[in-house]
Parts: sequence; structure tokens; C-alpha cells
Amino acid sequence: MYRQIIRNLLQQALITPADAGKITQFETRKPFSLHWELKTMLYLGVLLLNVGLGVLVYENIDSIGHVVIITAIGLVSVGCFWYAIRHRYPFSLGEVKSPTPYYDYILLLGCLTLLLMEGYWQYQYQIFGTRYGLATFIPMVLFFAIAYWLDNRGVLSLAITALASWMGITVSLQEILTKNDFSSQAIAHTGIFLGALLTVIPFALERINIKKHFSLTYLNFGVHIGMISCLAGLFLLDIKIVYFALLCLFTGFFMWYARTRHSVYFLTVVIVYSYIGITYAIFTALPDFNPWFYLFYFLISCIGIIVFLTNYKKFFKNYTP
Amino acid sequence: MIAYNRDWLDALLTKKTAAQWHEKGLLSDSQWSSIQAGYPAGFYSPNLFIRIGLAIFGLILLSAVMGLITLFFSPDSELAFFLLSIVWGVMFLVILEVWAVQRAHHFGSGIDDMLLYTGICAIIGGLYYVIPNSAGPLLYCCIAWPFLVIGSIRYLDHLLTIAAFICSLLIILLIVKEIPDMALYLLPFSGMIFSGSVYFGARRGQQNYTWRHWHNLLVMLELLALVTFYASGNYWVIQQAGLEWFALEQVPIAWFFWAFTFGVPLLYIMAGLSIKDRLLLDIGLGCIGAAVFTFRYYFQVLPLAWAGTIAGAVLFILAYTAIRYLHRYDRVFTYAAETDKSLLQEVEEQLIEQTIANQPSATPPAQQDTFGGGQFGGGGAGDNF
Repeated sequence: MYRQIIRNLLQQALITPADAGKITQFETRKPFSLHWELKTMLYLGVLLLNVGLGVLVYENIDSIGHVVIITAIGLVSVGCFWYAIRHRYPFSLGEVKSPTPYYDYILLLGCLTLLLMEGYWQYQYQIFGTRYGLATFIPMVLFFAIAYWLDNRGVLSLAITALASWMGITVSLQEILTKNDFSSQAIAHTGIFLGALLTVIPFALERINIKKHFSLTYLNFGVHIGMISCLAGLFLLDIKIVYFALLCLFTGFFMWYARTRHSVYFLTVVIVYSYIGITYAIFTALPDFNPWFYLFYFLISCIGIIVFLTNYKKFFKNYTP
Repeated sequence: MIAYNRDWLDALLTKKTAAQWHEKGLLSDSQWSSIQAGYPAGFYSPNLFIRIGLAIFGLILLSAVMGLITLFFSPDSELAFFLLSIVWGVMFLVILEVWAVQRAHHFGSGIDDMLLYTGICAIIGGLYYVIPNSAGPLLYCCIAWPFLVIGSIRYLDHLLTIAAFICSLLIILLIVKEIPDMALYLLPFSGMIFSGSVYFGARRGQQNYTWRHWHNLLVMLELLALVTFYASGNYWVIQQAGLEWFALEQVPIAWFFWAFTFGVPLLYIMAGLSIKDRLLLDIGLGCIGAAVFTFRYYFQVLPLAWAGTIAGAVLFILAYTAIRYLHRYDRVFTYAAETDKSLLQEVEEQLIEQTIANQPSATPPAQQDTFGGGQFGGGGAGDNF
């Protein structure tokens, strides 16, 4: 295939015969990259190890073997962190490259096994007693620290998840106390709050120039958690107008973000979520069922969005492709 | 034969190949810009996310159009539904051909994809209205087949290619299944022969420069053929099919299928490494996984947790040593990433980053009492993709 392309380019004098020779040599000699295969294997290995060990601990909880297993998990965790700390590059507020190709995976394995250990201690010895919040609060702080110190977005995702479950837990405990339908409302509110928080954090950090490349990870969590919570509130809870307003707020913010930062990903995601919300709002506001109206609504709204999406470049501020 | 502008398709192909050479430093910047200027392509092929958005809203739009037409005519007989479906299908395909492709120059924009899929589905669905209810699956496949094949050839569509391949395989298997007495023995081998011939046909086709626009579709066929070839001889597939179709407890010539289950993946991997073929290698690796699952389905030699732990450790160490080795000797194989990331690889990168976040997190207290069974609750992080 490439030979024919070289021939065409030569004919049009777009490349010189010397270039053609170089290219042919490159194409015949280029080494075969096993990058993706090996990376996938590393990742699957971490995943399987973590799941397998996680089940093993609890299956063998009453036998002698579990001491051995928990020691092994501890050793794995310590070994991983030892490796990660020994091989780290010096800290910087900007982006730091991984020192070795398997570095990220080893660090990840360390964090995951640490979580396993912590869960086991809480289960067996109740080290945090009944303060369940603490059981997620500590790994959260730890993971945020590791993510920033060793510059790892995978660990940052873990930290954000821990943050979410820490907030969720606090909420769920209230649910146990009050035992009324306040529960789902509390979860929706926490979700909206968390979404907003995750959306604001990166801007604050960007302002003081700390780890700018983490922004997308925060915003990605923020947009989904925030907008899903708004939609849940809109669908299930009482004061719909509030959630609709919040949804519009999120939509406006991320539209602004997409416009100024030229992000088609956020543009599309926000349009899909807000379309669901706005469609629901219109249909509940107009109670009587008229199929003609609904179908024309879909027809016209979709044409509008398609026209908008195909012209997204005009929507972007100062966009030069 | 192809709906799209062939000169532009050529230009895309040339630019895509030359971009890699430019990135490797084999072409100077001025050469690269003169190549870009010399090969203009006026397609409307937006960014992946815009394409997804356009596809979603395009589908809703087309459904609304179909709903409005149905409401207007309010058909009440099967014949009316048949006619209506054909009308939709033809209408969408005409819009695709005359407006989307010829005038607006859409090429993989989400809109042309959806027009094609809905159009073809409407026509095939309409035809299904009028065939008698007693018709078997074979007739359904035979009706769909020509549309799928023509659609994939004319519009260079991957999804239709997959559908056409599966449809062809089904037609062959359904015909062979009806052969008295011999069906059980012939089924696996007909699957293998079909897959094998598609595989070699697709590989030869890729060498053919005049078929260059179908190159990606042929690669897709090659991939599918490798998968179905393995599936045709996999012990689990044979045993389940025998049980389902022939109420057979014991698989005949079991030794052969067991050897096939484990031998073929190894063969794929070895062949993949020796001829440096990524598809063979990757599918071989995947098939190893399938072989392990097949084995575990019949022989529970190790508890699942132990198997997972050991497999995880083995995989990790294997990859680790391989990367170390490749760092020192990277003449033939390398760990350096290739410049042209395929879509699949980009999706995988995204997935890895997202699934990391869905790992087991510590003790969700709601399940505190029933905590014993290993917790994969995940940390309630909402839907991420």
C-alpha cells in the first residue's frame, strides 16, 4: 500500500527519490510495537490481583491462612510504595513524566492493596470503630497526597472516588438517623454539591498554577456527577424548579468552558444531559398528551441541535482550526 | 461503486500515511504542507464526540419523522406497515445519497451513519412484515444479506460489514445444520472453512491497491474471521451447541476440540510474532483468556479467587519482564508507542483511566453487616464512561 503512495508522491514531485528511499527503508525495518499489548497485560494483572486478593482475604477470614494472606498483601503494598518512592522523579508543580513504563501500574497496585488492608483491619479489628467516615476519609487524604506528590492521574481518580464515598457515607448515616424520604434528597444534594466542588477545584488550582493537567480528571467527574444528580433531583424530587435551575447553571458553566477551551467532549456531554433535562421539564409542564406536539418538538429540537453541532466551530471563541 | 468522492478518499489515505512519516521526521515540514495542499479533501467528518452527538440526535430526529408519518397515515394493516417501512427506508437512503453524501459531503459524520442504518433497518424490517410467520431464521438472514453486503460496499461502513459477516456465517451454519446425520460433525468444520477462506480472502484483498478504499473493512473481516475460526473449534462452544441443538451430553472427538481450544491461541500468538501481525497476536492473547475460561468451566481445579490472584501475578510479571527485555533489545520488537493510535486504543486509554476509579473502595457501611463476601461495591462515583 505505502509503495503505491510513495510512487504517487514521487510522480507529483512532492518528495525526492532520496526521501522515498528513506521511507521505504523505515517501513521495512521499523520495529513491531508491543506497547498496547503489554500495557493491557499490566493493567489486567493489577486488576486480577486486586480482585483475587480481595476475595481471598474474606474467604479465609477464619483460618490460619488469612494471616499469611494479609501479610502477603501488606508486603505487596509496601513493596509497591517502596518502588514508587525510590524511583520517583523530583516533585514539581507542573507535569512529571513517569520514570518507568510500569511505574503507574505499580503505584496503582500499591494503593489498591493498601485499600484492601485498610478494609480488612476495619472489618477484623474495627480500628475506626463506628466512625465509618474516617475509614474513607483517611485513604482519601492519602490518595490526594500521593496523586499530587507522585503526579498520577489514576490515583487522583481513586482519591476523587474516595471523596465521593466519604460524602455519600456521611449522608447515608443521616439517612439511618432520620429514616424518611429525606434520604434520596440528601444524596442528590450531596451529588450536586460534589459536582460543583469538583468543577470549581481545578479553576482554583489553575489560578495558583498547581498541576494544571489534573483539571480534566476533576471536570470529567464533576460534569457527570453534577448533571446526573441534577437530573435525579428533577425526575424524583419535589421542588423541580430548583433542580432545573441548577441544571441550567451547570449547562451554562460547561457551555462556557467548552466555548473558551474549545472542548468538544464537554460540549457534547452537556448538550446530551441538558437535552434530557429540558425535554423532561417541557413535557411535565404540559400535562395533556398530544402525540403531534411531542413529535414536532423532537423534530424541531433535533434539527436545531444538529445545526448547532455541525457549526460548533463558530460557537467556539477565537477558534482557528 | 462507492458513494463517496474517490479522489478525496485517496487524499485522506495519502495524508494519513504521510502524517506518520512526517511525525517520524522522514518528511520535512515544507514537504508535509505541500502534500497537504496537493491533496485536498472536502469531506465533513467531525471530531468523534461531535459524531456521537450528531448520531444520537440524528436517530431521535429520524424516529420523530417516522412517528409523524405513521401518525399522518395511521396504517392499520400489515400491508400498510410494509409499504410505510419501505417508504421510510427508501426516503432515508435517497436523502443519504442525494443530500448527505453528494451535496453536504458528509463522511462518517454521525448523520450519514444514522441515515444508512435506519434506512436499511426500515427496508429489512418492512420485508419481514410480509413473509409468513412460519419462516425460519434462514429466510430472515437471506433477506437481510444483500442489503448488508451492498450497504457495506457502497458506504464503506464497519458496522454493516460486521453484520454482513455474521449474517453470512449464520446462513452457512443454518444450511449445514439441516444436513441429516452428519450435521453435528460438519458444523464446526464448516465454520472453520468459512472463517479460513474469509481470512485469506481479506488478507489478499488488502494487498490489492485497487481495493484500497475497502482496506479497513477487510481488516475488520480479518479480525472477525480469526475470532469465529477459534470459536468454531472451541470446546465450550461445541459442547453448548451440541447440547442446545442435538441434546448431546458428550462431545464427539473431544480430544480434538480440547487440543484446538489450547493449540489455536498459541498458534495465533506464535504466527503473530513471527510475521509481526498485530491482529493475530492480539486475538491470540484474547483467545488464551477464552481457553482458560473454557477449562475452568469444566474443571474447577482452583478456587476462583486463587486463580484470579495467580493469573494476575503471572500477567503482571510477564508484562514487566517483557518490557524490561524490550528496553534492552528493541530492534525487532519495541515497547515504544506507535504514532497512529487506533480508535480502539484511545477508547482503552479512556477506559483504563475511568475503571481505575471504580475499584473497590473501603467499607461502605450500608453493607457493614453483610461485609463478608468481598466488596466490589465501588465508590458510588456516578456514571462515568
